[in-house]
Amino acid sequence: MFHVALKGVLARKARLFLTSIAVVLGTAFLSGTYIFSDTLTTTFDQLFADIYKNTDGYVRSSKVIDAGFGQEERQFIPISTIDLVRNIPGVSGAAGNIQAFARIIGKDGKPVGESGIGPPTFGSSISDYKGELWVISRGVLPAKPDELAIDDVTAKKEKFNIGDTVKVVAAGGSRAFKLVGIARYGDVRAPGGATFALFDIKTASEFLTKSGYVDAVLLQGDGTLSDDALADKITASLPNDLNIETLTGAQITQETQNDVGEGLSFFSTLLSVFSFIALGVGCFVIYNVFSITAAQRQRENALFRAIGASKRQITQAMLIEAIAVGIVGSITGLFAGVLLAQGLSALLRVTGIELPPGKLVFTQQTISTVLIVGMVVTVISAILPALRAGKVPPLAAMRSTALDTAGSIGRRVGVALAFATAGLGVLLAVIQGADNVLLGIAILLVFIAVLIAGPAVARPISLFIGRPAARLRGITGTMARQNAARNPKRTSRTAAPVLIGVALVMAVTVLASTIRAEITDIFGKQFTGDFAINADDRFFGGFSPSLADDINALPEVQRASGLGVSLANVELGGENESKFVTVIDPKTIDGIFDIGLINKSPQVLTKNGIFVSEKTALNNSLVEGSTVIVSLSDGSKYDLIVQGIYVRDQLAGGFTVSRELFVGTAVSRFDAAIFVLKKDGAKDSSIRESLESIIKKYGTGKLLSKSEYIERQASQVNQLLGLIYGLLFLSVIIAIVGIIITLLLSVHERQREIGLMRAVGMTKSQVRTTVRYESVITSLLGAVTGILLGLGLGWVVIFSLRDQGIKRFTVPTSGTLVILILSFIVGVIAAAYPARKATQVDLLDALAMT
Amino acid sequence: MENSKALSAGACPADPIISHSSFVSCPFFNFRTYDRNVEFPIVKDSVAAAAKHAIKQYGSGDEVIYALNDISVDFASGQFTAIMGPSGSGKSTLMHCIAGLDQLTSGSVLIDGLDLSTLTDKELTLMRRERVGFIFQAFNLVPTLSAEENILLPLLLGNKTGDSEWIKKVIDTVGLSNRLTHRPSELSGGQQQRVAVARALATQPRIIFADEPTGNVDSTTGTEILTFMRRAVDELGQTIVMVTHDPLSAAFADRIIFLADGKIVDEMLEPSAAKVLDRMKSLGN
Repeated sequence: MFHVALKGVLARKARLFLTSIAVVLGTAFLSGTYIFSDTLTTTFDQLFADIYKNTDGYVRSSKVIDAGFGQEERQFIPISTIDLVRNIPGVSGAAGNIQAFARIIGKDGKPVGESGIGPPTFGSSISDYKGELWVISRGVLPAKPDELAIDDVTAKKEKFNIGDTVKVVAAGGSRAFKLVGIARYGDVRAPGGATFALFDIKTASEFLTKSGYVDAVLLQGDGTLSDDALADKITASLPNDLNIETLTGAQITQETQNDVGEGLSFFSTLLSVFSFIALGVGCFVIYNVFSITAAQRQRENALFRAIGASKRQITQAMLIEAIAVGIVGSITGLFAGVLLAQGLSALLRVTGIELPPGKLVFTQQTISTVLIVGMVVTVISAILPALRAGKVPPLAAMRSTALDTAGSIGRRVGVALAFATAGLGVLLAVIQGADNVLLGIAILLVFIAVLIAGPAVARPISLFIGRPAARLRGITGTMARQNAARNPKRTSRTAAPVLIGVALVMAVTVLASTIRAEITDIFGKQFTGDFAINADDRFFGGFSPSLADDINALPEVQRASGLGVSLANVELGGENESKFVTVIDPKTIDGIFDIGLINKSPQVLTKNGIFVSEKTALNNSLVEGSTVIVSLSDGSKYDLIVQGIYVRDQLAGGFTVSRELFVGTAVSRFDAAIFVLKKDGAKDSSIRESLESIIKKYGTGKLLSKSEYIERQASQVNQLLGLIYGLLFLSVIIAIVGIIITLLLSVHERQREIGLMRAVGMTKSQVRTTVRYESVITSLLGAVTGILLGLGLGWVVIFSLRDQGIKRFTVPTSGTLVILILSFIVGVIAAAYPARKATQVDLLDALAMT
Repeated sequence: MENSKALSAGACPADPIISHSSFVSCPFFNFRTYDRNVEFPIVKDSVAAAAKHAIKQYGSGDEVIYALNDISVDFASGQFTAIMGPSGSGKSTLMHCIAGLDQLTSGSVLIDGLDLSTLTDKELTLMRRERVGFIFQAFNLVPTLSAEENILLPLLLGNKTGDSEWIKKVIDTVGLSNRLTHRPSELSGGQQQRVAVARALATQPRIIFADEPTGNVDSTTGTEILTFMRRAVDELGQTIVMVTHDPLSAAFADRIIFLADGKIVDEMLEPSAAKVLDRMKSLGN
């Protein structure tokens, strides 16, 4: 039987190919994801290994507040530490290190690099230290307060030459420097597309961060001590009150690699989640194709049974075919993944993120995972069709048509109803207060119910959806409608991938439009000023507090107030937790940004006071007058008195302090946004002009009207939405391929019918129309049910977020319409090739078949 | 020959078929619900269809096989013709070529005086829809359509209603009035063939081709179907060409053409079963 099965596989290469496509696509995405992630990780690991290649030790502050997700706020150390370290016996050289925000202004007066999106813009220190990462390729090292070097890529792109004056904007304001050197970063001209402005350590400290402080000290040993011993010695030699820690070169390399790895692993987890969704969708396609081919081969299998093959042998033969398909598909998919990974890298390059050069990493694990997953998925998808094929009675050999009946509709509906009821029951339990985790189970149960019910309802729904086609297209539409409905099982299995894809897209759309509405609402209520200046830089702080002061000095401005966020450790109930703390200016915020303070004006907030949200107050039994212990990232500790309680905590979070608190501390503080209230009667145009000129001086920030600002906040959701749509696109492609394969098999099966219709006068374009509308009806069947399911799914997700303050449920009408139109187009596209095949059916061959 | 060329050229001075359908090819915005029918010239000719020096060959050089070897034949209007001959004699090929389902290697086929070789694939399709009826041995009907839709299929494809009185008459004649909403799978083999006969008649075609129409039904049903075909010729004035190997079936025809090795070897008018059997014996079959 094995021989027979294998011969069967090889004899029908076309079918093997079609079935494999679904496997190929599913595994290609998986393989591409793994290769891409591994490559990224390896590239960055290599990059950091290179960076710290010549570093034996790394001295930094031990005071840090960890915000999770690889984010932390670490204190600076005094610049004098460099000399202290350099003088320790065993150290041959040391240099300060600073990396902070700085933006180079191009010759055209515009800042270089995109703000908000695109690679970051850095300011950094450079010195003649032997372990220095930057190498001056032309010119000299910057040594004076008015000198700088810039990276080679930016110099070329902006046509800067040695001797030019270059304007740079950083925390210390906007300043002009003389370009004395062009630098390269190891082997790379500039890492990752970022721009770099490089200064001597003193200038960097004063201009980029906090005068007299550096991020860390890099050092090299003289070889007399091991790195570990040297690190211990340095820590011991430095005064205790410096609060420093010393890492060896290996440790800092490892730590940086881990930090970046953590960020990357989130990214690759996201990618692989969507790959697995795509693979799951692919399962349906594989299952469908096996089912159809099994039905089409019924006579052949019945003949085998009639001449003495056992049920088991028939089933085995099918499974052998599945294994062949799995092997061919997975191997192809594995290599197709290489192309996909290259495509992803190219895509990043187009968006301006140039990865350091490196070979694609193809690990053993990728190979084994992809092959095993591909095989398992294929064989599992083929089990049911194979078992069904075995059950074919020998008598079926005498029957002519491919039978693929829906079985007992009553039983099917019964089982589906049972699942649906169970799902809704669980849902009800959650509404009554059970754990949110159960929502996942409820969703799963309802999905299963829909998939089981599919074949039972596919016929009536297809007939319903096809009605306009029949009305509009006469006999061709009627035939398309009947064809879509004639094999309910097949149609519903073909529509299932569309259904899953659309349901996910719909749910995400519902969630996004709800969050958008929520954000618009929140900002609309809280932001009562006229203009906002938004700091776009994701990587570093934001505006210097002096910007708000400068704006307050404008004659057209009634009041301007900066709002920032800082990390702090808050002691609650004896436990120390790191929290984001909102920083406001209590003198100016009133009437501009409303946090919903209960019976209070924000002006009451003093340097030693704190506002807490109502929720925080309730959870921690805080009342006005209670004390909250807060330590800032420089280690300074404060007993803050609760001076007010507020209700609007969606933006402000649990804690709000005055910016006065930071005065005199070593913590550098930025405003994330500045809100402006104009004077009565001030002209918008003139106030805009004044604001723009101040912004230009600072070199960063974007002036927005109230409505623009709110829209911008709300549209942040769109970026995430775009990413998720992009990833779900994988599933849509597989769904399209599923429709194509099904239609091809159907066309093949209906050759005689097509031949007959051509004989009695159906033109080729009418043949195409028939196939096209069948495809559209199938696609819309998936879309319509998917939209309904997606709405439910979206509602459930939003319901689970009710504790996060999301209480509305917005149905995206335009989004729904777009999905329907796209499904129509998907149907048309999927039909193109099968329709062409249908017109190529040879009339005489078709008529000669009996 | 000259006649047909002149006619076809005269019928389409500016290639009307193409211009009628020029916007059919756009897949997205084709809101027209049918392909407009081409107005083929109506010729009051006593010859419904004809083949002239028809040659159909397979292969080339020494290996060439002639399925049709220089056949010239006319099929007169209002006549029931049977084509007989042993397997491989070329009778099916002849029918397929005359019906516009297959192309000749050389020679010409005329339907209503129109040379089929001058027509595009699309024109040929419309010609079949408008002027030709078909009855096949088996699998005559579209399984997803009702009996009525199957009967009206050629008309529906052209979005035409047809002559309703005529259609009613046809349906009554074949006795299908109470079976119209049934699907083919709900009909017996004989009923299915009767639907096929009704479909072939529905458009009042110039000529009907039947390929072993009784080959798949029992003899009683077969006789019934042949009787309908006979009546279609006698009472409704239709023209039928039937391929068969059954002398009893052939006896229903007005004229029999005998084919062997791609050539017409004999012809018989007003046949009877006995005469046909005799003739076949003498032809060495």
